[in-house]
Amino acid sequence: MAATSSSSSAGESTQANSKWLDAHYDPVANLYAFSSCVTLADLHGDGEYKLVVGDLGTSWHDMKLKVYRGTDLLSENALPDMPASVAAFLMEQHEPRTPAVAVASGPFVYVYKNLRPYFKFTLPPMEINPLEKDVWEQAKEDKIDPLSLKEMLEMIREKAEIPLSVRSLRFLALEPPEMGAFVNQYKMQPIKRQTVITCMATLKKNMADEDAISCLVIGMESNEILVLDPEAFTILARMTVPSVPTFLDVMGQFDVEYRMTVACRNGCVYIFRRDSKRPKYSIELSSQPVGLVRVQKNIVAACSDQTLQGYTQKGKKLWTVSLPATPMTMSLMEQKSRGFQAVLVALANMEVHMYQDKSLVTVIRTQDVVTSICYGCYGREDNTLVMTTKGGGLIIKILKRTAVFDRGDASTGVPTAQSIKLNVPKKTKLYVDQTLRERECSVAMYQVFQMELNRIRLQATRTYAQALESSLTPITETLQEPLKMNAVVQGIGPTFKLTLHLQTTSATRPAINLLISFLYDEGLYYMARPFFKAPMLVPGLNYPLETFVECLSDKGISDVIKVFVLREGESAPLLMAHINMPVSEGLAAA
Amino acid sequence: MGLFDKLAGWLGLKKKEVNVLCLGLDNSGKTTIINKLKPSNAQTQDIVPTIGFSIEKFKTSSLSFTVFDMSGQGRYRNLWEHYYKEGQAIIFVIDSSDKLRMVVAREELDTLLNHPDIKHRRIPVLFFANKMDLRDAVSSVKVCQLLSLESIKDKPWHICASNALKGEGLQEGVDWLQGQIQATKT
Ligand SMILES: Nc1nc2c(ncn2[C@@H]2O[C@H](COP(=O)(O)OP(=O)(O)OP(=O)(O)O)[C@@H](O)[C@H]2O)c(=O)[nH]1
Ligand SMILES: [Mg+2]
Repeated sequence: MAATSSSSSAGESTQANSKWLDAHYDPVANLYAFSSCVTLADLHGDGEYKLVVGDLGTSWHDMKLKVYRGTDLLSENALPDMPASVAAFLMEQHEPRTPAVAVASGPFVYVYKNLRPYFKFTLPPMEINPLEKDVWEQAKEDKIDPLSLKEMLEMIREKAEIPLSVRSLRFLALEPPEMGAFVNQYKMQPIKRQTVITCMATLKKNMADEDAISCLVIGMESNEILVLDPEAFTILARMTVPSVPTFLDVMGQFDVEYRMTVACRNGCVYIFRRDSKRPKYSIELSSQPVGLVRVQKNIVAACSDQTLQGYTQKGKKLWTVSLPATPMTMSLMEQKSRGFQAVLVALANMEVHMYQDKSLVTVIRTQDVVTSICYGCYGREDNTLVMTTKGGGLIIKILKRTAVFDRGDASTGVPTAQSIKLNVPKKTKLYVDQTLRERECSVAMYQVFQMELNRIRLQATRTYAQALESSLTPITETLQEPLKMNAVVQGIGPTFKLTLHLQTTSATRPAINLLISFLYDEGLYYMARPFFKAPMLVPGLNYPLETFVECLSDKGISDVIKVFVLREGESAPLLMAHINMPVSEGLAAA
Repeated sequence: MGLFDKLAGWLGLKKKEVNVLCLGLDNSGKTTIINKLKPSNAQTQDIVPTIGFSIEKFKTSSLSFTVFDMSGQGRYRNLWEHYYKEGQAIIFVIDSSDKLRMVVAREELDTLLNHPDIKHRRIPVLFFANKMDLRDAVSSVKVCQLLSLESIKDKPWHICASNALKGEGLQEGVDWLQGQIQATKT
């Protein structure tokens, strides 16, 4: 089954055997959004979930908050500025429990109830540079002209620790003729310095229920994170991040314990706990994150260097997978009925890959590059995948009721052999004792070992030297004439057959002009041919050379016969062997 | 069937019993339809999503129906197949205004029609394209097309547009079903 399913699920998602049903595709839905601006919520409390999109539009003035019911647009609200994030959250306890929609945009959070504007939260103003304030004060009283105002502001911009307000920065960008009008228009208004919201998430206040009231968590350009009270919109907590937060994931409850994972523009991920004003753990990603998702307790980030990386909640790196194309966005996929969680990553090559940990589970091909993914309950269908595309299209797919995903369905995962458990036997008492002993007497053991080792080396070297001196090796030393010999004695006596196996170990050159000579006690043995010429030795062939030895003694004694392999015209043997002759039993018995 | 039963049947004293399965996605209006087919004094006012299934009875001029009103919720849909063997007719209800889930209805219908207990039987299937009163409902012809009902060749089928809240279109469907059952049984 593994083989067939892996090939079918990996790519052919457009076919009938796909796990997804194509519920809707509108290539001209005119929806331009990022994942942070798309959410699903039961806005009317009727069990039918709506799609809420903060639409960026195509120009500077058609940003909208759009709500879809099924395949149709239900309502539209114009937004005054670019939405940074959209979230649905329950503000209060009392019935009907319909969630409000929060749209973060610029320095504001617009809250909609029943799809009507309800409340606008403004970020607290930031400290203003006193020098800048003074300068504008003077301008207000017409004590300085616009050109010297410009000069002084430029000086402040160079030196000051507190940056200039937006008004001053805009003023500095003006051409001299426009300056006077600008000063006159704004000098009466007090200067303000404000930051903008970069990301937003929700955090349950004090209950874990699905429909518990939630706080808004806001990440700001000023390297800060705020937690807002759901009813009064007061600031409950404020945290400082080392860089500008871009993605937020929050789990837990504000009043009990929570964990905030913040991906920042500097390519780092910071993890905060309740009561920690500063990050508790930090992760340095290999490049800028394009998305951050928490799968159970692990953190998964897609990075712009075409990788997907998994970390534990304490920031320990678990794995990295390289992606076939640049990731665009990512989202969590959760099939609650089967307790299955995975990560959906949209890629620039018009594919959406689904990963469970580091194994690719399935690939969905789309008609256009997907820029936002939202997975969850839509309409009345629990497992719906809602995607918007670069060209403004809307794709809705529904997971089949019968669909089951296997880990590593689509190849490229951990090889199965890696997860097989080896049958390692239990530790015996002997083993434990030995380990203890090793631990206690390690120094002595090491010394003994070293001494024995040196002895062995000495012994080996001595024997070797001796062998060299007497050419007593069965293998020649000279490189010109590499020879190998061994001798076999056969028979029980008084006549023995002595076979010498001679071979040249050179790969190419035959050995020629070799002589064989035997040295023995002539009172004890008789040999018909104690001296003869060896044939030419062709490389790779083994030459058995046979001679017969007769034992002359009947006293049951034996001696050594020495064999020399010599080269014609040289007195030093090339090779020498001692043959220990067996006792002649034939004669003794006779 | 004994002579007495037959006599009773002719005289309309005892009606022939038929088991009907009422299937369709959750919220399509199955329970509302069955409720409307019951005599007005037996109808309930508040209809809640069905859990598991419920058994309802109602009578027409010549038949006595026992309906298995199955829950359409995803987690209960795997119960359906256990009742396929007993069913002598199928009522399949579609929410015509739920365009998003037409694919899901189609998928469930395909699974149903290809089930071994159904596939080779000439069992009549009545479709209700329900919630016709809603503004964004599609026509019954469109429902027919979206579910590709034309491809059902080996079973008698019929589709009616209906409004279960007012009871419109229900009688037409039940009349057809009664005709089909009598045609096969007698
Ligand atoms: N407008 C309109 N609403 C309808 C119609 N039929 C049913 N409804 C409503 O649809 C909702 C669901 O109806 P049910 O009969 O409970 O649906 P069901 O198919 O039995 O659902 P499950 O039991 O969950 O499978 C109820 O609120 C009904 O009032 C109809 O023809 N028109
Ligand atoms: Mg019901």
